[in-house]
Amino acid sequence: MRVPLEADVRAPARASDLPVAALGIAAVAAWLWAFLVTDRVAILGALLAVAAIAFVLAQRSAVAKRYGLALARRPRMGVAFAAIGVLAVAAALHDQPYPLLMLCTVMLFVVACIGLDIQTGYCGIVNFAGAAFFGTGAYTAAVLAKQGVPHLFGIVCGAIVAALVGSLLILPVLRTRGYYAALVTIAFGILFSTFLEVNNALGGPQGLKLPGIDLFGWRFNRDVDIGGASASFYVNYVVLALALALGAYVFSRRVDRSWIGLTFDAVRLDETAAAAFGIGIARAKIIAFTLGNFLCGLAGAVYAMMQGFIAPNNFTFGESLILVSILILGGIGNPLGIVPAALIIIVVPQKLQFIQEYRFLLYGILVVLILLFRPEGLLPRPVRRYFPAPR
Amino acid sequence: MQRFLVTACTLAFACVAAMSPTALHAKETVKIVFIGPLTGGNAALGLGGRNSADLAVQLHNADAKAKYTFDMVKLDDQCKPDIGVQVATKAGADNGIIAGVTHYCSAVAIATVDTYHKFGLPVIVWGAVLPAITYGNDYPEIHRVNGTMINQNEVNAKLVTGLGYKTWVIIHDTTDYGKGHDEYFTKFLTQDGGKILADFGVGADQQDFTAILTKVKELNPDVVYFGGLTPIGVRLRSQMDKLGIKSQFEGTSGIVSDSYIQALGPLAEGTIAFIDGAPIDKLPGGKFFLDQYAAHKYGEPPEAYGPYAFVAANLIMDAIEKVGPNRKAVTAELAKTKDHQSIVGPITFDAHGQNVVPIVTAYVVQDGKWVVWGDSDYAKGKRKLAGGK
Repeated sequence: MRVPLEADVRAPARASDLPVAALGIAAVAAWLWAFLVTDRVAILGALLAVAAIAFVLAQRSAVAKRYGLALARRPRMGVAFAAIGVLAVAAALHDQPYPLLMLCTVMLFVVACIGLDIQTGYCGIVNFAGAAFFGTGAYTAAVLAKQGVPHLFGIVCGAIVAALVGSLLILPVLRTRGYYAALVTIAFGILFSTFLEVNNALGGPQGLKLPGIDLFGWRFNRDVDIGGASASFYVNYVVLALALALGAYVFSRRVDRSWIGLTFDAVRLDETAAAAFGIGIARAKIIAFTLGNFLCGLAGAVYAMMQGFIAPNNFTFGESLILVSILILGGIGNPLGIVPAALIIIVVPQKLQFIQEYRFLLYGILVVLILLFRPEGLLPRPVRRYFPAPR
Repeated sequence: MQRFLVTACTLAFACVAAMSPTALHAKETVKIVFIGPLTGGNAALGLGGRNSADLAVQLHNADAKAKYTFDMVKLDDQCKPDIGVQVATKAGADNGIIAGVTHYCSAVAIATVDTYHKFGLPVIVWGAVLPAITYGNDYPEIHRVNGTMINQNEVNAKLVTGLGYKTWVIIHDTTDYGKGHDEYFTKFLTQDGGKILADFGVGADQQDFTAILTKVKELNPDVVYFGGLTPIGVRLRSQMDKLGIKSQFEGTSGIVSDSYIQALGPLAEGTIAFIDGAPIDKLPGGKFFLDQYAAHKYGEPPEAYGPYAFVAANLIMDAIEKVGPNRKAVTAELAKTKDHQSIVGPITFDAHGQNVVPIVTAYVVQDGKWVVWGDSDYAKGKRKLAGGK
């Protein structure tokens, strides 16, 4: 399949960009609402079919291109509309805790996967220990919350500790390449969950309980009352997770568009050539690895406080594979692709609960089908456009 | 691309076709939920529990006198705490679901108690043994029919001190299972006047215990207590014999399996161990349960905790029959459960919702079989355990 070229951000904005983007977001939000709320298999199947058909049609016609162009020319507008869309979905679901919980889970996994994308997709460092960094953030936040440290500080510390632990792991990763670097991260991931299991101070195999987030007196785990209407407490977490997801997205786009992003590209595509041009390979890898782990830790810390309970088997090698599969399914290197991929990988198995022990079979078939027809992922990374399009 | 379209459409239609038709019921239908590990490493136990709870519902629905028809929603917690919280939220937020039969894995059960309390969903835990699930909180919604490690070790300590043994060495694996047993056995044994000479933790995959056992030989205890599962139990017992340790060997529910005896042969003779629950075929309803289970042709055996899931589902359905489909009323009704006759013995919930009279059965290996202690030649004095007791 032909890999698309990046939309030209330097093209002048058109007046029609705004309604086009608004319409697109409204359609996606309506679909998301229906997808989260449905409990019926027929509706779920229909929704997935509608999404698949709409996706294919948009790709074949000029719609996708037009839409991508509108968003590319007005990146701030895209982010603002995404925020409005998710908030609208959350408002429509305000009294249904379960869909809200799934929405939060998806957004936090998006944050973690954007972190992995900076490592794998941008700089080419394969990280099979995503869940370990996610868990480092979670456990740091849990331990600090138990000590009575302000929660916001605890969450930031979770992210920083994950980045610090990563900066130790980067040493062996820098000395190895390809499969061997991947093996180093796998070993670390397994080491991490084993360490948690034998460490009694961290709750051992039975796990740790932790309180809900309390930001300057605003208790996240209390149901929200706005003007007489009561909303589930998960609305708090939706707002926080949304802020983090959008922040991570904007951040990763900024990194990608900066000189750091260009350096990452060079390192990923050809290390030898990059080194010959005087690019510091080690430096680029350290930056990518640290940034990625910071985001993983951040997502993990918030996830832990939202769940209220963490245990070592939340952060096993299997969970790392789930993070990596979200990345591959979405299209490595494109943070936008992570969103539909996370929805499929996290929500669909839960929607298939009705077939009980056979659901992973059906779910596996779904993933295989997607990879069969779109081996480069749902939204492959577009080729970087270095020069404005001729016009 | 065309092929992709075709596949997508086919998939969609397949899903539509797979949707189960909604059956029409004359009686009011009430939804309850079963949650357990249906996939992953503990799936066998989860499926056994699910089938058993399903059996209870089917038997109840077949009863013409019942006021309600029950529909059991079955959810998979994958034995993972975060998935557990997700499905617990799903069940709790569904106002149509009145009560639940929940969780085999301790880590999942402890992670979800807050969720059930928040939604006010009364649940009965059917398999998790961690004491804190019921004793770590004051939530009226949480109940448990199976025993905890506490009960098992209380009975254990009483029995063995009653036999006249004075000194113990404890060996346990370092998982939550082994550590929990270590903690409670130590507590009850000290209360009953036993003396613990040493306490060793071993890794769950350790092969060689010579170093520990040499020390044990030097201490020469009356009894070696082992808290852990069959594989280590087998290695320990055979290595004890190699080193010539003559102490009595006793274990926990983890070694009550036929493979323990098969692996050790005559060496297994005289080993004492305990399980939560009565031997199922000896209870008045036990044979009925096993017969019905066989008659319904489930694909998987009920496993050790199936009867508890069966009992938990029945307790819930009986409570709903009595007070109607209302979560608060059912919670209040379950709290009143006292001497409720069931296939695992009478059930009485204490203030924490824990069944206080779970039956614990002592077993001893006699002639290559696990024999209930009371029926064995050892209890009757015809044979002697190690140390002449």
